[in-house]
Amino acid sequence: MGYLGLARRNAWRKPLRTALLMVCVAIAFLIYGLTASFQHGSQGAAGASEDLLGVMSAAGRGQSLPMAYLPRLEAAPGVAAVAWMARLRGFAGAESNVIAVSAADPERLAAVNGPELGLAPGLMAALTGARDRVLVGHALAEAQGWAPGQRITVTAFDTPTAAGSRDWQFEIAGIFEGAGPSTDTYFVIARYDYVNALRARGSDSVDAFVVRPQEGVSSGELARSIDALFANSAAPTRTQTEKQFLEAFLRQFADVGLIINLVVGADFVTLLMIVINTLVLAVRERRFEIGVLKTLGFSKRRILALVLAETLFIFAVGGGIGLALAKGATLLAGASLGLVLAPLILGKAIALIVSLGAVSGLIPAISAIRSPVITALRTR
Amino acid sequence: MTEPATDAPYIALKAVQKGFKIGAEAVPIFTALDLTIPRGDFVAIMGPSGSGKSTLLNMLAGIDSPDGGELRIGSARLDRMGEGARSSWRAHSMGIVFQFYNLLPMLTAAENVELPLLLKPLAARDRRARVEKVLDLVGLSGRGGQYPALMSGGEQQRVGIARAIVSDPALLLCDEPTGDLDRKSAGGVLEMLRFLNRKLGKTIVMVTHDPRAASCARRTLHLDKGQFLEERRAA
Repeated sequence: MGYLGLARRNAWRKPLRTALLMVCVAIAFLIYGLTASFQHGSQGAAGASEDLLGVMSAAGRGQSLPMAYLPRLEAAPGVAAVAWMARLRGFAGAESNVIAVSAADPERLAAVNGPELGLAPGLMAALTGARDRVLVGHALAEAQGWAPGQRITVTAFDTPTAAGSRDWQFEIAGIFEGAGPSTDTYFVIARYDYVNALRARGSDSVDAFVVRPQEGVSSGELARSIDALFANSAAPTRTQTEKQFLEAFLRQFADVGLIINLVVGADFVTLLMIVINTLVLAVRERRFEIGVLKTLGFSKRRILALVLAETLFIFAVGGGIGLALAKGATLLAGASLGLVLAPLILGKAIALIVSLGAVSGLIPAISAIRSPVITALRTR
Repeated sequence: MTEPATDAPYIALKAVQKGFKIGAEAVPIFTALDLTIPRGDFVAIMGPSGSGKSTLLNMLAGIDSPDGGELRIGSARLDRMGEGARSSWRAHSMGIVFQFYNLLPMLTAAENVELPLLLKPLAARDRRARVEKVLDLVGLSGRGGQYPALMSGGEQQRVGIARAIVSDPALLLCDEPTGDLDRKSAGGVLEMLRFLNRKLGKTIVMVTHDPRAASCARRTLHLDKGQFLEERRAA
């Protein structure tokens, strides 16, 4: 039995109490793991690019921009490549099964957004094979059970075809994976020329231009210069990074980051109160034994370390279980929720486990070392 | 093992003062207590309740400090030491046997014995070897895996003695070591203490109410009202 072994034995002397404390810690870190995974996942903005710029109408997301802006954007200093896209929102089967289609020029998209979306040359070649072909994101394909070669119908909410139908027929040419687990792949990439030719209105307009800045060019400065370029035109622009855009989009519903921080904060404050209260009682119950240890020569510093080691043990086991459950949940939830428990979250969680363990242990530990030996030995 | 008995005082108390406060009232226990104990001696301290036996033992153990006077054990001046230094001194120079054994219930006998060794820079294997050796010495060979709750009072006290001597201290302090034991178990414990003093040269100071226990010591001191009244030497 080493020193840590002694701390472990102390922690397990009341197995039910220790197990319940561990469950508390596990639940707290499960909540933390899930909320942080959401924030970091494809439904949040953490995985979005801070380099790519989206140029949209300053009048609002529903307003389009004329294709005629393209040459002026391409000529703007600091621009490496420009792509464009038109949105087509609809559903497949049931109306609640919402599908987002981004119609883009394949070559341009590959040049601007290819690395982020994982658009390999083979996929792009498949897409260019026929005008009604589409690429489906991995998360969406998994959620819908779609496979390459399959024909799908997307019923648009507000983009009818020239023939008057709202049904859009596509053939799946391939599945794109995204650069990483936090990349949003819950959408369809269609060909702009196909959508533009068939839609009843809004011809030769786009919902957004996507701009990749040249190496070394500040995306913020470029965004300002693009907006200045169209400031006095009929359709002024608003240029944001992809990350800013997503954050602004999510804030339309609620400040998700603030809500998550409040939930996690309340979660940890409650946890601290429960654990500190329980551990203070546990240490008070053991005052006599702590007196015995002091009589044997255990210094205040060693007693402090012993109590802290005990709380850290509880936090390490509980936190580990919570994070493992969160990891399992992110895997089980599937791609539709877009939860990503990234290494950065794990690193933060480990730092939280250590700091919360230390803070929780400090009050009972100080109470343990303050009690004089003689007083402690009389408490039997 | 410790050195054999010599006449040089190993423990020396000079004009030690100690008192307590009960509310606003100061209650003196010792006003000027003197005591010398040579190395290797076995001293029993007897006296009525409230005579100051336990207070004296606590001061000798370094878990209480005198209000005045000089308290020296070996080369250590306990009256001048801070709490940290006294902790370190206890870890290296003193073992204590309690009346009610005071074993930690969640640890096995061997783990209880091992506790003082956690304060020393020893490898786990060396610690285990020492624990086995002292458990063998107190007659509990092969019983190290048992928890205290499953042992008799006499066996628990043997574990307590093993814990007190495992780090090989020169001084052994015993607080009523047979006070909670039946006659047979008490006899075994006293025989063990006598062995530790006679064969291993431990200096033992034992507080007891039991004349039979005191008869095992080389000297018996009677303490009353904070003063030693008489001294009796074993034949």
